[in-house]
Amino acid sequence: MPDPLSPIGLSLIAVTLPLLGSVLSALCGAARLPRLAHMPAVLTFAAAGVISGYVLFTLAGGKDPLSYKAELGTWFTVGDMKVPVAFHLDSLSLIMLSTVTFIATFIAVFSASYMKGDDGFARYFAVMGLFVFAMCLLVTSNNFFLLVAGWEGVGLCSYLLVGYYYTKPSAAAAARKAFLVTRLGDVGMILGIFWLWKFGGYHSNIDQLVDHITHQPPAADQITLCCLLLFCGAVGKSAQLPLYVWLPDAMEGPTPVSALIHAATMVTAGVYLLARTAPLFALSPTAQIVVTIVGGLTALLAAFIALAQYDLKRVLAYSTVSQLGFMFMGLGCGGAIAPNIAVTAAIFHLFTHAFFKALLFLGSGSVMHAMGNVIDMRKFGGLRKLMPVTHATFLIGSLALAGFPLLSGFWSKDQILTALHDAGTGRSVFHGYYYTVYLVACLTALMTAFYTFRAYFLTFWGEERVPHEAHGHAHESSPAMTIPLVILAVGALAIGAVVDPLTHWFGHFLERSPVLHHADEAFHKTTNMSVGHHAFNVTVAAISSVLSLAGIGIAAMLYRKGGPEKVPTVLKPVFALSQNKAYVDEVYGATVVLPAETAASGSGQFDGFLDALARLISFIPRFLGAVLRPLQNGLVQFYALGMVLGLAVFLTVVVLRSGR
Amino acid sequence: MITLWHFLGVGATLFALGLVGFLTRRNLITMFLCAELMLQGVVINLLAFGRFHGTLSGQAMGLFVITVAACEAGLAMALFLMLYRRGKTLDSGDWQQVRETGVPAATDAVPLPLPPADDEPKLPVPGLRPEQVAAPFPESSRA
Amino acid sequence: MSLDINNPILQLILATMLGGLGVFFLLPRPRGRWVAGGVALVLCGMGTLAAFLITRFGQPLAASDAANIDWVGSGLFWLFAAGAIVFGMVLVTQRNPARGAIAFAFVILSTCGLFLLLAAPFLMAATIIIYAGAIIVTFLFVLMLSNVRTASDENDRSREPLLGALAGFAFLGLVLFTLHSSEADSTGPEALLTSIERVRLTEAVSKLDAGEADEANNLVNDVLVNRVDGKPTVAQRLASHDADPRVAAFLAQTIELRKSNDKVFNAQNAADKSKAAAALRPELIVYLGNGHLPARNVANLGTVLYSEYLLAVEMAGTLLLVATVGAVAIAGRRNPAKEVPA
Repeated sequence: MPDPLSPIGLSLIAVTLPLLGSVLSALCGAARLPRLAHMPAVLTFAAAGVISGYVLFTLAGGKDPLSYKAELGTWFTVGDMKVPVAFHLDSLSLIMLSTVTFIATFIAVFSASYMKGDDGFARYFAVMGLFVFAMCLLVTSNNFFLLVAGWEGVGLCSYLLVGYYYTKPSAAAAARKAFLVTRLGDVGMILGIFWLWKFGGYHSNIDQLVDHITHQPPAADQITLCCLLLFCGAVGKSAQLPLYVWLPDAMEGPTPVSALIHAATMVTAGVYLLARTAPLFALSPTAQIVVTIVGGLTALLAAFIALAQYDLKRVLAYSTVSQLGFMFMGLGCGGAIAPNIAVTAAIFHLFTHAFFKALLFLGSGSVMHAMGNVIDMRKFGGLRKLMPVTHATFLIGSLALAGFPLLSGFWSKDQILTALHDAGTGRSVFHGYYYTVYLVACLTALMTAFYTFRAYFLTFWGEERVPHEAHGHAHESSPAMTIPLVILAVGALAIGAVVDPLTHWFGHFLERSPVLHHADEAFHKTTNMSVGHHAFNVTVAAISSVLSLAGIGIAAMLYRKGGPEKVPTVLKPVFALSQNKAYVDEVYGATVVLPAETAASGSGQFDGFLDALARLISFIPRFLGAVLRPLQNGLVQFYALGMVLGLAVFLTVVVLRSGR
Repeated sequence: MITLWHFLGVGATLFALGLVGFLTRRNLITMFLCAELMLQGVVINLLAFGRFHGTLSGQAMGLFVITVAACEAGLAMALFLMLYRRGKTLDSGDWQQVRETGVPAATDAVPLPLPPADDEPKLPVPGLRPEQVAAPFPESSRA
Repeated sequence: MSLDINNPILQLILATMLGGLGVFFLLPRPRGRWVAGGVALVLCGMGTLAAFLITRFGQPLAASDAANIDWVGSGLFWLFAAGAIVFGMVLVTQRNPARGAIAFAFVILSTCGLFLLLAAPFLMAATIIIYAGAIIVTFLFVLMLSNVRTASDENDRSREPLLGALAGFAFLGLVLFTLHSSEADSTGPEALLTSIERVRLTEAVSKLDAGEADEANNLVNDVLVNRVDGKPTVAQRLASHDADPRVAAFLAQTIELRKSNDKVFNAQNAADKSKAAAALRPELIVYLGNGHLPARNVANLGTVLYSEYLLAVEMAGTLLLVATVGAVAIAGRRNPAKEVPA
């Protein structure tokens, strides 16, 4: 049992607090105090955020490796295997923990106002608390069992929150889709974990397991397969091609839930998993390039689809998919340059993205709240005067997402682009692929800037239009909603610059994680390349800035006056393709759903045949029963007669046999 | 010379007759008598074997059989009395409620013969005014 | 197996079939009861049964020693047997339960006669006393509960007459067939002791009781050693049957008896003689008792019941008590339908 005031002890308190909040919220609902149900959640999230932030700052200085471990007894024992409740606190999990609790606090504050008066108020905060707890458990666990528990807990809570309006069929379907699609990836992940367990000398703790594998690495193709299976889980959870389809549909939940899923919890789990297992990926450059390519394709496709969506939240959803693609591109660079650079870039982007994506989603929620739950950008416009705070904060978020120079998103995206560029021009076997992906990333950055500002202009510029669903009281949201926006906007504006390019604090802090240290060692052993350090590349930054500004410029040129949509005739088919989400759902429908349905209906037919067979068999005793039932006529004499006749037959047999 | 086997044959015959009566007759009292008949067949068997082996065990057993038969008689009569109070009949076929659900009650297809026609003259029921064919007196005279 | 009229199997089948068919015709029913045919068939069946018993188990009047034919015993047996069966038949087929009760009384009388023939006078008396009471009670019930003047379901109908008769008489046929096959070898001795030998030995016992040991010794010697009236001795007569364990045991007993008898003959003084005679007497009684029950039936039965069967007697008494309590409890309720549940 660790000392409660040690860093790991405090972190564990921070992990447990959301669970406590969840239980208290649920109890509020049970105690007929649903109006107060947000209080436990907000307070515990805030407390967890403050505690983890305190731990972060106390540990920020220094250069020693940062690793604290704790075991809180045994979870279960099976034969010789003993699974402890083991936690591991290093810089990676500490950053994740702080980000999650910090962002979740503001989302909870926003939700308290946004969800006011809803029937399931207490349920909402109870599940939200559980969600945050599961995510915290995931990022601090030190064995795969606990990690999977947190992982599945996150999946369960996303199901519950996406299906929050469970009476709405589309919401129920979206929840089911989210759950099933992510489970598809989980299957691969669990297989991968099993295999890793075998290679890792059957250690249950991740650090021992990784140690074992890096010191006695299995054959290259085996470790590649292992890594790819783990990546399957990440693909499902973090909405990468081909399993990204659940994330846009997850918009069916309340908007703060989307903010939570997209910014802090759930989708970042996959990125975290790959960062946590970076030493294993470092052993397999092939797996890394696959990660990069999948990330690139996802980023490009999602950005393309986001170009022509009218649903504001949908644009943001596809942008999330696209940004996650960026993170994976960055992670994948670990095979060509040092893993610490790649992981730092990806986690940094995750960190800044959490701020501006939470901001954008909450901003869109604010818009939606004012517009009477209408989110179609064709139905409103020119809201900048009506909702000045929302407008300002949304603009900051959009600029950050677009990678406008010097904002948070610019710095983190620049790190990823630099990493890709370095990988593409480095000595890696796959440098051609990396360079191609770099170009794709540049194109995606341009598209990101364009679609972000298309949405921004369509919403806030042009003549003022308000849909009639708003019932004439379209107004700026209450301070409880705008204050989180402002705080997140400050973060989106400055936190990127503050923590890394100016102070290099982030990178140095993350480097202290033993995970990255192991990864660098393994990388060096595998590829024989020296481990470099991140260096600011002016060319890449300049190109990125130009692309960002160009995207913003094109959007301003086309949509400065607000709607309606203006599309050059030449691009009409492209636009239609984008608007129809590149027909991915249709392709899936034809290639996956239809065969599955055919097989299911065939099985149904076969089942019917079996049923008929069973009925036929069951008919025999029923027929016999119907024939024999009249014998049970209730006349005792008749029964006695039957007995005597039976006895006579029996005795005949006995007598004739013995008489011979 | 009369041997054991002759007695056994008689006992078996009595037993079989009692069995037939018990299975076919429907009057509870007759059924009871038939059961006693079966017991008599058994007692003859026991005595014959006892004599054949030259022991008195057979006779002792016969005594016990008679004891059990007495118990049976007492209980059977009590039961008949109670059944009669319930159903006003001694027909064992009236007690058939323990049959399988959905099976129709057993009924007798052939009707019973009608009682022989009564040749005696019918007297009017005492205490009631005989039905009047025609009013012997005018209506006014009644008052 | 040829269709010989003397074939016992054929007689057996015929007897059961005729009897069953007769009972079937005689059983009461609203229509189609054929009394004359039924009676004829039943009588034929009974005749065939008698024929079977005689063919298979020996003619009653054809004993080995024609001088000692047990006329009375045989006649009484046939009389009582026929009476029991005929009145049993009447009980089964009579539609009036009161007449059935009377018939049952005659059955009881007939079986009591058979009990006498089986050397069970006490049981005979007990049965008559007990069943007289039982029959009177039955009679009362019939008078009380049954309406015999008009046709009724319980008296004028039979439940499954054909199947019932088939079941009962199939059972009878099986039992008779078992009897037939269990005494398969007819080479066994008719009796272990002939009646003349029995008379001599009984005489010897009475001589012993009178203190005339030498006379008794001579009588026993006559039976066991000398040829009485030129007939073979017991051992000679049974020698051909010594495969039968019962006969073998009897022969061993004969040798022992002969030794004891020789001791009486060889006794030197009067004291020895009377001592040997005292030892001879119970052996002689046991020897005589083979196949025959002792006299003084009631005293002996009482000894057996209160020694060997004491526990069973007590249990039987308890059973009677319980049955009495049960009968009172069942019949004592006035109207069970109106009873308020506790």
